[in-house]
Amino acid sequence: MTAVTNRNAYASDELQAIYDQTVDFVAHEVVPHGDLWEVEGRVPRDVLKRMGDLGMFSLRVPVEHGGLGLGMLASATFAEALGTSTFGGFEATVLVHTDMALPHLLNSGTPEQLGRWLPSILAGDTVLSIGVTEPDAGSDVAGLRTRAVRDGDGWRIDGRKTFITNAVYGDLVILAARTDPDDRYGISMFLIPTDTEGFSVASKLDKHGWRCSDTAELALDDVWLPDDALLGTVHRGFHETMRNFQNERMVLIGMGVGASQVALDLTTAYCADRKAFGGRLADLGAIRQRLAMRQAEVDAVRASMYHAAWLGDQGLDNVREMSGVKALGAEVVNRVMYDCLQFHGGMGYMRESTIERMHRDARILPIGGGATEVMLEEVAKRSF
Amino acid sequence: MRILVCVKRVPAPGARINVTADGQAVDAAHLGFTTSPHEECALEEAVQITERLGGEVTVMTLGPAAAEEQLRYAASVGAHRFVLVPITEVDWDPQRTAAALADAIGDLEAADGPFDLVLFGNESADAGGFQVGVRVAHALGRPIVNGIKGIDVGGDPEAQSSETGDVPEGQVAARREIDGGFEVYRVPMPAVLGVKEGINLPRYPTMKGRLASKKAEVAVDERTAEAGGQGRVRLHRPEEQVSETVILGTGPEAAPAVVDLLEELGVFQ
Repeated sequence: MTAVTNRNAYASDELQAIYDQTVDFVAHEVVPHGDLWEVEGRVPRDVLKRMGDLGMFSLRVPVEHGGLGLGMLASATFAEALGTSTFGGFEATVLVHTDMALPHLLNSGTPEQLGRWLPSILAGDTVLSIGVTEPDAGSDVAGLRTRAVRDGDGWRIDGRKTFITNAVYGDLVILAARTDPDDRYGISMFLIPTDTEGFSVASKLDKHGWRCSDTAELALDDVWLPDDALLGTVHRGFHETMRNFQNERMVLIGMGVGASQVALDLTTAYCADRKAFGGRLADLGAIRQRLAMRQAEVDAVRASMYHAAWLGDQGLDNVREMSGVKALGAEVVNRVMYDCLQFHGGMGYMRESTIERMHRDARILPIGGGATEVMLEEVAKRSF
Repeated sequence: MRILVCVKRVPAPGARINVTADGQAVDAAHLGFTTSPHEECALEEAVQITERLGGEVTVMTLGPAAAEEQLRYAASVGAHRFVLVPITEVDWDPQRTAAALADAIGDLEAADGPFDLVLFGNESADAGGFQVGVRVAHALGRPIVNGIKGIDVGGDPEAQSSETGDVPEGQVAARREIDGGFEVYRVPMPAVLGVKEGINLPRYPTMKGRLASKKAEVAVDERTAEAGGQGRVRLHRPEEQVSETVILGTGPEAAPAVVDLLEELGVFQ
């Protein structure tokens, strides 16, 4: 069984069960196969289906809809446990589905939309993506150019989306489009099945890391959607999108914390074993002290993340805390990976080494889900 | 059906095993633990049988307080009742273990009626003594078949395989592999079976099952028993084998070196 590595002040039997279950699954069903998925550029569908069958996509779903009805602490725990896989692309595939896209449906979906989509989403038969980013609008969500205009009993959508995780092989995109051209924030959200006429994957993008996660550039050419594809209130999509930002930031850091702990464990084991200069690498002060500092930083990020999650679960505003954790955590994860690769020496630079892949996977964390600079502005706005 | 499964907490497979300074035990400080694999399969088999026929699966373990973790895991995959027979020593010898388990089983049966089946793993993953199941069966006065890779309970229409034929009510057919084939035993229930890994593929717990297992009630049944005659002299950890990779070359240039090596190994003789 798994050891308790994610100790935090908010731990409970329930959260420990989530952690153990996820770590066990990852150790047996992901780690042995992930290298092949990296080459293939996708996570096999049957893996997601198995996770669905085991109820691993149901943490945040209300009990009345067949879920476990849990909160942000559960998502943070789940993300940290997924992070132990060392395959950031796998973790992103799952977390986009469960914690970046699904919350929009849960927050804003009508009973009919929930009834239509939730069962197959929970079962892993329908894989979700979130289509917000565009070639000219990333962290600046209000700059979206994709337009949706009224057409009969529905909407006609045209535009481009890019860097959309899960959209190459996924089934349903929760997509943001501008519905009020006169209002910078006049955006609405739509549920778009990927087999809709006019919807296409313009290209499968080739990435620096997260190689087993599929990432798409999407083209929407004259896509017509019925009224029941509108998710939430018309023109209010920007504000509804923002409701999930803290959760999105949190799970990215959660997976980073899980990965960092594995990287530190791998590196301390390597340094304890590696002989050099008449002793072990672990006996060299420069190395042991640097790794100790990285461990302290990871512990601090972990504690801060769970605290911010707890604030959210209490219904309290946690934007400052979570934005700060996202900014700090993403930098810490990259420092950890840099040092861990460094202390693996030449081996750490080889494609066959785990730490080389983890180093690449970590680089997206200060960019995706709100760049560090944007996160710091969120903190600054609440500081001055 | 009432089925009892006895499980043991053992170090997780693949773990680096260290021995305590006195040579009497495995150093558990940095080890992960799990349910012995044969017993995990026995548990899965029991759950599958009761899912088809109805009934209840009770799981019992003799071990340290931490073995409650293995009972909760059993709860997460569908078992119903849980009994921990706690010990404070590192391990009990097979005779002592079997005596305590047989006593505890006897008391459970006195209260609620006999178990139709008592399942053990064929042998534990750590000690590998092959003894406890046989000794418990003997103490309970029941037939036992070991090395089982197939169980067909009489009256279970889904489980009737061509290999075991129609099994009458009140009996169980137990199949085990032998060199070049298999053999089938039919024994009257109540019976004891020693199950081998491979009989099934144990399920993962669902997230819901895992959460519910934290609330499962674990009965603690303290037992005493006389130590048997088997005493451990000491554990010894063999020296690690040092492996070395020699790269003979790359591409066609490596061919002569490969030929030399194959000749040296006698492949061409």
